[in-house]
Amino acid sequence: MIIDISNLHASVNGTEIIKGLNLQIGPGEVHAIMGPNGSGKSTLAQTLAGKSDYEVTAGTVTYKGADLLALEADERARAGLFLGFQYPVEIPGVSNVYMLKAALNARRKAKGLAEIDSVEFMRFVREKAKLMQLDQSFLSRGVNEGFSGGEKKRNEIFQMAVLEPDLAILDETDSGLDIDALKVVANGVNAQRDGERAFLLITHYQRLLDYIKPDYVHVLANGRIVRSGTHELALELEANGYDGVLAAAG
Amino acid sequence: MAAQHSIQLPADDIRAVWQSAGLSNGVLGGLRSAALDEFLHAGLPGTRNESWKYTNIKRLADELTDYLQYKAPAEPDGSAALDLPDAIHLTFVDGVFSPERSDQKGLPDNVKLTSLADLAEAEPATLQSLFGRLARTHDSALVALNTAFAGNGVALVIADGTTLARPVCITYRSSQANAAAQPRLLVSLGQGSKATVVEHFCSAHPVFVNPVAELHCAADSSLDYYKLQAEHAETWHTAVQYIAAENNARIRTTHVDYGGALARNELKLALKGRGAHAESRGLFMADGTRHVEARLDVRHEAPDTTSRERYRGILAGRARGVFNGRIYVGQDAQKTAAELTNRNLLLSKGAEINTKPELEIYADDVKCAHGSTTGQLDATSLFYLLSRGVDKPTARNMLITAFAAELLTDISVPIIAELARNALESLQADTGGIRT
Ligand SMILES: Nc1ncnc2c1ncn2[C@@H]1O[C@H](COP(=O)(O)OP(=O)(O)OP(=O)(O)O)[C@@H](O)[C@H]1O
Ligand SMILES: [Mg+2]
Repeated sequence: MIIDISNLHASVNGTEIIKGLNLQIGPGEVHAIMGPNGSGKSTLAQTLAGKSDYEVTAGTVTYKGADLLALEADERARAGLFLGFQYPVEIPGVSNVYMLKAALNARRKAKGLAEIDSVEFMRFVREKAKLMQLDQSFLSRGVNEGFSGGEKKRNEIFQMAVLEPDLAILDETDSGLDIDALKVVANGVNAQRDGERAFLLITHYQRLLDYIKPDYVHVLANGRIVRSGTHELALELEANGYDGVLAAAG
Repeated sequence: MAAQHSIQLPADDIRAVWQSAGLSNGVLGGLRSAALDEFLHAGLPGTRNESWKYTNIKRLADELTDYLQYKAPAEPDGSAALDLPDAIHLTFVDGVFSPERSDQKGLPDNVKLTSLADLAEAEPATLQSLFGRLARTHDSALVALNTAFAGNGVALVIADGTTLARPVCITYRSSQANAAAQPRLLVSLGQGSKATVVEHFCSAHPVFVNPVAELHCAADSSLDYYKLQAEHAETWHTAVQYIAAENNARIRTTHVDYGGALARNELKLALKGRGAHAESRGLFMADGTRHVEARLDVRHEAPDTTSRERYRGILAGRARGVFNGRIYVGQDAQKTAAELTNRNLLLSKGAEINTKPELEIYADDVKCAHGSTTGQLDATSLFYLLSRGVDKPTARNMLITAFAAELLTDISVPIIAELARNALESLQADTGGIRT
């Protein structure tokens, strides 16, 4: 098991958003979470990534056999958890490569590996940028600074490709992408599938799942997973909307 | 003790100290003597004085006579000149020009670089025309003090149409504790001339440094001015620069402040000629219980003058920062454009900033804006970096450096940006009551 979330309750500013959520993801699996706006999808993602605003009030999360909740956000990342942000943050003055190099070396150190050689790093990073069809100039620009919405999303997947996580949580990485960019992003994700690495895709659109075939699809509503199924469930949602599916779920 | 408008001083003691230092002699004797009267009459400013409201120098006042006691400069300690191989390096020790530690050879013919003592001998009229051309002793008691006690300073006169390609770098060093340095720098840029001037203050002792610089920029000239203040942690530093720009002169000033116990800088910039333009930027930072202060007084006195002022402060520990920026637009200064911003970053709960950007406008056809913001490190940006696996101290450091880096681009003296970055890193280490 990569991650085992059991009876998770999380609050922000005293309001409970995640209300007893259970989810297990095994090695190599792709899970998709769909759900209405405001149902708690991003809250779940950010809680797992360790954002301090979100307070876990009950439940457990076991990640690769250890207590995830005992780790700080940066420790979680170094342990191989990656969050692709729904709204990637612009950080002028910190270049993309500078941040990535620090991040990659921190992750390597945690794995007991030596720091990456600068030349090797640039070669590696350029190759991944090419895969994501990100122009080389984006490497030296400030993190997401002045990037278009779609470029920001590609930059998230590019970072994921560089950091090679064990579990990638991608929060609406497909939103705001044109059709070609969606394929690029899907290819980027598929290129990372190796039978071990697991993915949790948060999405509103079944179309993404045509490109990245999920093993499981879950519906999150009001802080809980109310239905789980296979890819078929996504198609059913597309056809009947959440109302239909939620009514059927009772 | 209650706040007071000015702090009275032991006038007789100070006058005796002044007399024994032999400052009444020479071409400047009369000026010094008048300035001394003015200083003793005014006293040092107290916190009741509006522009010293946040700046308490009572302790300096208590010890002033000791500081002012004449002490012959000895061999200076601490950091040497900035690593600027191309520069013309000049050195002051304890506020007095030190010719034997300065490059005076190899200057272009049209550039005159001379000590004030030599100038007094050779061309007393030139000295009289430069000294006090812009600095007014009644502006501030500290300018009067500098004038009264000014030892041998330096004059740099650049002839019309001359470009001085090599930067002039002046290093102000110290040789002993408890000395008072009253350095005076006089710069005159002729019409259409160009120069880069760097002032580097790096006392290695607890001293009192009270410099005055006067830089006059004739029509069409261009000045790139840098001031780096990296004084000893227990030093008092109260500096004033006067810069005047005639028609179409272009001024750029860069201030980086990170040393001293109390460091206050006042830049007085007058755009006197039509079309004159000034860009001023400043980065000030402090940690521990230091006080750092940036004051800016930009006067648009002629039409079509433009200026842009950008100042950033970074405060850690229990440090206090003060920013006071005033843009004055006179009645005749139509079509003036000015933009003043001050942004501050507070890194700890105990850190403090008092910021006051002001506009004072008497012309009607102008475009002026000002603003200031104060905040902590952005929590969302910090989380983003953490979520990539960057540890917290490194992530904080990246954000702090980025905040400063945006200001310190396009620096013709890159070593200053590098020193600022190093200073930021040590600031970062000051974790007292950290904010996230
Ligand atoms: N920091 C916060 N302060 C207050 N409320 C918050 C905060 N973060 C989330 N919420 C609330 O929690 C609920 C869930 O938000 P969340 O962002 O997790 O939804 P979502 O399922 O990702 O929605 P969307 O599909 O629109 O992205 C919303 O009602 C939101 O307003
Ligand atoms: Mg969301």
